[in-house]
Amino acid sequence: MGFAEILELYGANYAKAVFETMSMTFVCFCFAMAIAILITVLRVSPIKPLRIVGDLYVQIFRNIPGVALLVVVAYALPNLKVVLPWKTCVEVTVVLLASAFGSENFMTGINAIGVGQIEAARSIGLTFGQTMRKIVIPQALRSAVLPMTNLLIATMLSTSLGSQVPLNPQELTGLVSYITTRSTGAGIVPFVISALCYAGTAVLMGVLGNLIDKKVRVIR
Amino acid sequence: MSAHVTSMRDALYEAPGPRTKRLTVIGTTISLALVAVGAALIVRQFYITGQLDAAYWSFFTEWNTWRYLLEGLVGTVRVALVAAVISLVLGVLLMFGRISSFPPLAVLSRVVIDFFRGVPSLLLIYFFFLVVPQYGLQLPSFWMITLPVSLAASGVLAEVFRAGVNAVPKGQTEAALSIGLTPTKTMLRIVLPQALRIVVPSLISQLVVVVKDTTVAYVVSYPDLMQNARVLITTHDSVVSVYLVVALIYILINFAINQLSIAMARRSGNPIISRETENPT
Repeated sequence: MGFAEILELYGANYAKAVFETMSMTFVCFCFAMAIAILITVLRVSPIKPLRIVGDLYVQIFRNIPGVALLVVVAYALPNLKVVLPWKTCVEVTVVLLASAFGSENFMTGINAIGVGQIEAARSIGLTFGQTMRKIVIPQALRSAVLPMTNLLIATMLSTSLGSQVPLNPQELTGLVSYITTRSTGAGIVPFVISALCYAGTAVLMGVLGNLIDKKVRVIR
Repeated sequence: MSAHVTSMRDALYEAPGPRTKRLTVIGTTISLALVAVGAALIVRQFYITGQLDAAYWSFFTEWNTWRYLLEGLVGTVRVALVAAVISLVLGVLLMFGRISSFPPLAVLSRVVIDFFRGVPSLLLIYFFFLVVPQYGLQLPSFWMITLPVSLAASGVLAEVFRAGVNAVPKGQTEAALSIGLTPTKTMLRIVLPQALRIVVPSLISQLVVVVKDTTVAYVVSYPDLMQNARVLITTHDSVVSVYLVVALIYILINFAINQLSIAMARRSGNPIISRETENPT
């Protein structure tokens, strides 16, 4: 089948799938950022158990494969009387994964600042709160732009996990498998459309992230 | 890295006085209690839903269970290693294309790299599983999982290699050219060997992404760890215990690879170049 035919038959599905992928990406990224900040606060807090919990969280979720986490959330949790809608399962999985990487990005940003700046801040009499607000957080945020852009792209790619559970409407990867198993002879076209949607968006995100990074980067 | 992390973490705070020390002790106690309560609640949920029953865990004491999981693990390792080798070769080739002085080749390589970096590996797997057979090419399930994993990794690896080549000081190239080596010889004899050494820790850390990507092998029914776990679940009717154990195995493997890459990076002094954040899929 050609492009025209596929788009005529499944154009509406593609519109929904693009919206589904992008909205899931956006929602998951926002939640992931919020949790990443929380986890990072735990990891730099002076209280040992909280640090350990934060470190453990990051080690677990940056090392677990997405599919392994998804099956735990989607198929194991219901046995523990935690039943979530399919879409929420996917979103929870993606948020857990992305927040671990997000926290790593923040930690790298904080570490890059250097002990000397903190010591300097304290020696001119800034309080802990001031040091955080004026020295640490602005620099950590600025140097996190590029890694976070990559994380946004990675979050979008992770939402393809949605193809492993019955979603309605489907996202871009699940739709390819749906069309290809339904229409015999659909050929390569459904794959190409989805792939271009992903890759095009990824390139666009990368370009925008680079532009922002050039504006705000801290040159050391 | 961890020594540095600790020092930065600790640098944020002044040496605590008696009051702060007291507060820290109180905070530590409260947070310990909270963690304990959280853990207890989780165990309780396992208990009241009957997931702690011996029936769900006893088969892990049998050698057969572990042998079966081990067979799956061998499948995972096989896919991961072959995919790693293919993606290394493809990555180097794509990198050469990307830095080539022949514009059409450079543009083409760039498009290919961006494509494989910007497409989820699951979509590539569906390509080999659902699309390729339509054109009369029926691949064995091993290649239906290994090829997409290799392609997904090759895009990222090309960029890692390029970063490695860029990290070799310019003076090396200039010196090589000035003693009369051709540009090709300069690249192959001088720059590439050094670049490869620089990216070793990064290559190891990329292996984590490859291992993660292999977990979708069940889509093409290739017997890897995850696929064998699913079989185990049907034979023992135990979802929670098997999935948790398998998840733990994956976490430990990837943790070990990550630690190895960090140790190599520290020993050689070469940084880990990644996609900044690896693909968490």
